[in-house]
Amino acid sequence: MAIKFGGEFEVKRTPEEVYDFLTDPKKFAPLLPDFQSMTVQDATHFKVKVNVGISYIKGAADVRMELTQADRPKRAQYKGNGRVSGGNVSLTAGFDLSPSDSGTKVAWQGEAQVFGGLASVAGGLLEPLGKKNLQKLIDGLQTALQ
Amino acid sequence: MSPEADKKNWVGKSLPRKEENRLLRGRGKFSDDIKLREMLYLRFIRSPYAHAKIVSIDVSGAEALPGVVCALTGTEVAQQTQPFIEIGPDPFAKIKDYPLAVSKVRYQGEPLAAVVAESPALADDAAELVQVDYDPLDPVVDAENALTNKSILHEEAGTNLVWNGIFEYGDVEEAFRDAAYVVKVDHLHFHRFSSTPLENNVVIAQWNPKDERIYYQCNNSFPSFAIQFLAAHLGVHIDRIRVETSDIGGSFGIKITSYPQMAVCALASRKAGGRPVKWVETRSEHITSSAHGNERTFRDTRVALDKNGVITAITSRHIDDCGAYPRYEPLGCVIWSQVFPGVYRFKNARIDFSQAVTNKCPVGPNRGYSRMQHLWFLERVVDICAYELDIPADEMRLRNYIRPDEFPYTTPNGCVYDSGDYPKMMQLAKDLIGWDDWKTKQVIARKEGRLIGIGIGTTLDSGTNNFGQSQIVNPFLPYSGNSQGANCKLDIYGEVVVAVGSCPQGQGHETTAAQVVADVLNIHPDLITVRTGFDTERNVHTGFSGTYASQFAVSGLSAVHGAAQKLKAEMKRLAAFALETNEDDLEFGTGAQGPETRAKSTGKSINYWGLANLVNANSAALPPELYELTLNCRYIWRAPFKVPDTKKKYGSLTLTYAAQLHMAVVEVDCDTYIPRILDYVAVDDCGTVINPPIVEGQVYGATAHGIGAALMENCVYDAVGNMLTSTFSDYIPITAVNMPNVKYGHIETPSPHSYSGAKGMGEGGAAPIHTISAALQDALFASGIVIDDSFNNADSLFRALTAKEISQADKLVKVEKRV
Repeated sequence: MAIKFGGEFEVKRTPEEVYDFLTDPKKFAPLLPDFQSMTVQDATHFKVKVNVGISYIKGAADVRMELTQADRPKRAQYKGNGRVSGGNVSLTAGFDLSPSDSGTKVAWQGEAQVFGGLASVAGGLLEPLGKKNLQKLIDGLQTALQ
Repeated sequence: MSPEADKKNWVGKSLPRKEENRLLRGRGKFSDDIKLREMLYLRFIRSPYAHAKIVSIDVSGAEALPGVVCALTGTEVAQQTQPFIEIGPDPFAKIKDYPLAVSKVRYQGEPLAAVVAESPALADDAAELVQVDYDPLDPVVDAENALTNKSILHEEAGTNLVWNGIFEYGDVEEAFRDAAYVVKVDHLHFHRFSSTPLENNVVIAQWNPKDERIYYQCNNSFPSFAIQFLAAHLGVHIDRIRVETSDIGGSFGIKITSYPQMAVCALASRKAGGRPVKWVETRSEHITSSAHGNERTFRDTRVALDKNGVITAITSRHIDDCGAYPRYEPLGCVIWSQVFPGVYRFKNARIDFSQAVTNKCPVGPNRGYSRMQHLWFLERVVDICAYELDIPADEMRLRNYIRPDEFPYTTPNGCVYDSGDYPKMMQLAKDLIGWDDWKTKQVIARKEGRLIGIGIGTTLDSGTNNFGQSQIVNPFLPYSGNSQGANCKLDIYGEVVVAVGSCPQGQGHETTAAQVVADVLNIHPDLITVRTGFDTERNVHTGFSGTYASQFAVSGLSAVHGAAQKLKAEMKRLAAFALETNEDDLEFGTGAQGPETRAKSTGKSINYWGLANLVNANSAALPPELYELTLNCRYIWRAPFKVPDTKKKYGSLTLTYAAQLHMAVVEVDCDTYIPRILDYVAVDDCGTVINPPIVEGQVYGATAHGIGAALMENCVYDAVGNMLTSTFSDYIPITAVNMPNVKYGHIETPSPHSYSGAKGMGEGGAAPIHTISAALQDALFASGIVIDDSFNNADSLFRALTAKEISQADKLVKVEKRV
């Protein structure tokens, strides 16, 4: 079950500032919805623990994140893979940065793929939940970058 | 004493089931009821991915949990065992099928590790602690795509094509040259569904370290097949494996393929020092990972017809999806051909049959196994031709049915249909449903804008396989014919005890076996004890023993009958000696001291205790010429089959052919598109009926299963192989709430192929699926819809009628008229 999403927003920062923020796990990861904790492994790898609650499936998900594309100040892309009760989740989130009149335009795209019983049990809830959480992330990013 | 002349036949009587007493009082013994000292509990760790490499498995966290005894991984199992035997030929004979995935997983829900703990809850907790890293691979969830081999499931095979064969008979080209009409159907699709027995799979295994014997208490429904796989896999002599079944809460074929889980439980028991290990399958495990029925796609169908709408030839290409591992396959690639022409008379046909693996749950012999897909295909073909040629569906069938006077009827591929009268069944069904009234109501309803259809489904339930057909898929297989064993004895105190190599799951074998023996010995069935369940140590099984493929009434009861006859013959010899008369002077019945044998000339009698005592406890009174008598008689019944011609794919593949003719009136709601059954009739012909309520009950059961499959039950996978219907919220089994009132009728055309005239039954040939498809076709043809899928619900009907996405007649069907 694949959930795709995307959008864009503008912030009053330079592309370099936005890029540096997005590629710093310590700044970026806490914006993830229901963030609990994080372990940085190296410059491009970190693990985050987030709370998950989908219908009656509740628990914590350990997500391994990797910064797979880092083209300062144009593009940053993360790939993640996590395990949660009832299944696995893989996700990709990319950010394309371009200068704008007010600062930087951030065009973002993402895809989450759910594997396992979770897709069946929570199938209908995943897409709206994913969109809601993603909006939280974007809102958090905008706030942090203002 | 009742004289033999006044003998009442118990076969054919509506005798209440002997099983009811314990089952309805909650006193049945099912596998999960068994509690053993020091029992441990096993939980599988299953893959969330449909296709992925296993990078690593870490069970240390689970093993460290207090109460966890051990864990097993696929790598460990592969080091200790041989891969399971493959039924198919190369290249699929080369694949390595282990009960736990070793280096990659091939379907969502595939087990790759197991944990064993002191309690089920601890095992659940431990399973959560097993860490697995995967490297996802491209999944293949469609059999036709699988045949492109872009993503290979089994590298050892190098292809996803499990088997391919062409079944060609008659002169197809000539039939098409001479045809008045040629109807072409682009594609049809039979969906994937399963069975939902009340009791899921359960295995208790104990590998005794003292004597290296393995003792299974489980609900596998084909144990003699399972032990052959297990012995070779585990590297033990087959005699060291004991399988015992007790009461079983339904199987419908799906429990035949539980041997992988049986293997893991035995290995876990060995690792746990010989403690018994129990595994109880959860419902979601059952739906996602036990076994599904075969999904099949029918491509490029061409039908030749004469000017009267009589079908003269059919050609088609069939692609079967067997899921991730063949297991019981590719037997399904030939089993469908037991009913090659269905109930129809056409002689010329060519079917190009392929089977592919996909990243979905492996299939198993689901009720109506392999034949229902083909029979549904034929019924669709007949209906589509009828509508395209504007011939009423009932008339179309009557023009094409095999006629009653043609039985025994040899099909183009050499099967011999024993008996039948399909027109009579149709007339009875019409009478029961009120055909003419419904036709009138339908006309009125259509004027009101309502979508009402009346459908007919005619189908076959072929029973008692010739396992020689397995050589059509693999000429090197050492199987042919069919057999069943039974034992009938007078116990030491004269009790008549019967054991048979079947493992009933609700079919009333205890009752019907007692009826057969009661007729042989002229006593009441209540005086006969029939052992419950299956046990290898009773030594009454053959390589084909179990309960499957609609055969007990023929194979099982023939074995029981043979054993009872042998016992009776021994009793006669013994009684003739004891009563100082000759055997012709003896009669059997019940006297003041219970069941007895009596000399007609003198009136002297000896009861069963007396006879048994002579053999078992008073043997000094026996003359030496009677020493060979044991009153413990084993009989193996063998079906009179020959090995089929494997090159021509020709031969007698099944012994009996029960038939079903169902009719349904279905309305599609114009606002919600929900299909609703307004009336339903099931007419059955299983030859001589042994016990009418048992037959009727199985007809209702098969009807419910089929209606559920047609309208509610569908195994849905998404593009990456997630099964989206893994719980009863989404995979909706039929219940009494959804069942229409079924009007039941039956006719009897006794089989010349069984001693009693009975035919195997119980599978029902999935008649409701054909029937509901036909009724929907009738309701929607005027709207330009051809029913091209066996599963139809409100969603698919909406997509067909309103969205015009599927089932559009102009895209599916072309008719070439030459008259």
